[in-house]
Amino acid sequence: MSGFKDIERKQMTLGGKSIPVAVVRPLDRAPSAPSVLAGLARGMRLTLGVFLRPWKVVTRQYPENRQTLRFPPRYRAMLTMIHDSQGFHRCTACKLCEKACPNGSIRVITRKGLIDGVNKLDQYIWRMDSCMLCNACVQACPFAALRMTHQFENAVYDRRLLVFNLNQYAGPPAKVLSAEPDTGRRRQMMEPRGRYEGPLPINESLRPAVSEVKDAPAKDTPA
Amino acid sequence: MSVTVRTLDELLTPPTAADSPLSTQEYFVNMGPQHPIAHGSLRIILLLDGETIRKVIPVPGYVHRGIEKMCEHMSYRKIITLTDRMDYLSALMNNWVVARTVEKAAGIETNARIETIRTLMAELQRIQSHALWWGVLGMDLGAFTAFLYSFRDREIIGEIFEETIGARLTMNYIQPGGLMYDILPDFVQKVKKLLAYVRPLINEYDTLLSGNAILQERLRNIGILTAKDAVAFGCTGPVVRASGVPYDLRKLEPYGVYDKADFDVVVGTKGDCWDRYYVRMEEMRQSIRIVEQLIDNIPEGPYMVTKYNARLKLPKGRFYGQMETARGVLGVFIYSDGNGDTPYRMHFRSPNFNNLWAVTQIAPGWRIADYIAIQSSLDLVIPDIDR
Repeated sequence: MSGFKDIERKQMTLGGKSIPVAVVRPLDRAPSAPSVLAGLARGMRLTLGVFLRPWKVVTRQYPENRQTLRFPPRYRAMLTMIHDSQGFHRCTACKLCEKACPNGSIRVITRKGLIDGVNKLDQYIWRMDSCMLCNACVQACPFAALRMTHQFENAVYDRRLLVFNLNQYAGPPAKVLSAEPDTGRRRQMMEPRGRYEGPLPINESLRPAVSEVKDAPAKDTPA
Repeated sequence: MSVTVRTLDELLTPPTAADSPLSTQEYFVNMGPQHPIAHGSLRIILLLDGETIRKVIPVPGYVHRGIEKMCEHMSYRKIITLTDRMDYLSALMNNWVVARTVEKAAGIETNARIETIRTLMAELQRIQSHALWWGVLGMDLGAFTAFLYSFRDREIIGEIFEETIGARLTMNYIQPGGLMYDILPDFVQKVKKLLAYVRPLINEYDTLLSGNAILQERLRNIGILTAKDAVAFGCTGPVVRASGVPYDLRKLEPYGVYDKADFDVVVGTKGDCWDRYYVRMEEMRQSIRIVEQLIDNIPEGPYMVTKYNARLKLPKGRFYGQMETARGVLGVFIYSDGNGDTPYRMHFRSPNFNNLWAVTQIAPGWRIADYIAIQSSLDLVIPDIDR
């Protein structure tokens, strides 16, 4: 190749082990004037060749090509909770995702069910501002309730806008709801949830105040 | 070689008269922390006499995030996400070294499929990392075309990662007990297509940059690192191999399925920037060779052998594992106290930290412009130095 001598293959020993090596000996002196010019010309010819073939351009015109932008199915961007066609989610509020999250971006708040008294999902709070899209929550979920969407444009002017409430309703998961035949009773079990409007920053404010902890009985304190 | 430890204040002694016939003075120049060739925040204090470098004082620590300390509060699965952020150009290999050390300590047996996919991914990333280095070296030395060409080809490999893993840079793919996802059915076909695309490209790189006499003159005989110094500084990877030491953990302590692949360890003879350049160029070809041999027979099996939510409890003791990343040996030391799934102490022996200190030996005597070539040929990733 231009500028290089041949590669010598041989065996070398290191630490009592024979290792096959390829010894490279690049050109150890300045090339002669004609070969300097030839080398430069070869490089120029390459760039000129690309310049003359505009169909080989690989640049993607990003903001303009939003309509045609396609992502592979596994592409990781905004986290979402899967809601089926009836609007039910599969989250049972087991908090495995909260435990798996490396930087505490997920907070699962539970409440006692209005009818059966079992712990149910109240709010699924996800902080995009501290999330690093590592996919740990999706992997940890035993009910496949979470998914990473392909929505990657999430720049805002205020990081408080990056705190999301992922569930559309508070209450039992799809399995429980679809087993309930009575529509009115089913509606009673669900309570609509909009976007997150709670206190910020949530990590501090959701922690109970010192006086609250002292007064309230131990079982009522949030985990 | 003796090592003397001095503080920064002692090193920055008042300038003295330089030993040139003109009545010049030595002076200090801060190169960084924000300098384009640092590729991050690295402060280099240069003691200069005119344009000649007399002394180099690297001051790392501007990207220090305390990863080792953070590891003490995280379970072993969560630590993987942090290793992505050390040497981000070989993120998969960083994941792998922690995963392998934890697996060895916890007694988890992986299968051949997992190991083969890990090896393939690591080699693809080595090509990607060296391609980026090639472009950045060109850009540092004033050839911007090289940078664009290397990024064009880096994207092609990045797309394979994106399809398989879902991310391009911080992948979190190789985890204790297996992989995050199985490979897609068309992975083999796509990698073969990629190899056919990449192989002529390395010749194209040679035409564009290696054959350029200006670049050759800026690299040849500059910053000669002798084998003795390289070993004394603890340099690893292409830096020590360019000095003629065939130190490659893929051959010395084979991990993954490297023992099944036939490849050569690329070594240089002189240890100058030009050797380091060519060693990396040839390593790309060797990586292609490894991928070619392994891609056709990926064994069947599950891609994860443990349950994700199972607690990874390590026995009490000290565990060390090391691996050859694109820049050298990354070692991980885990001190486990035996209770809980977090380490008591975690230490990373990062390749860039040791490679960085080679500049203090090889840069004095050269000009500032040569220093650019020297640091660029060492291929430093600053977040890996600071951790």
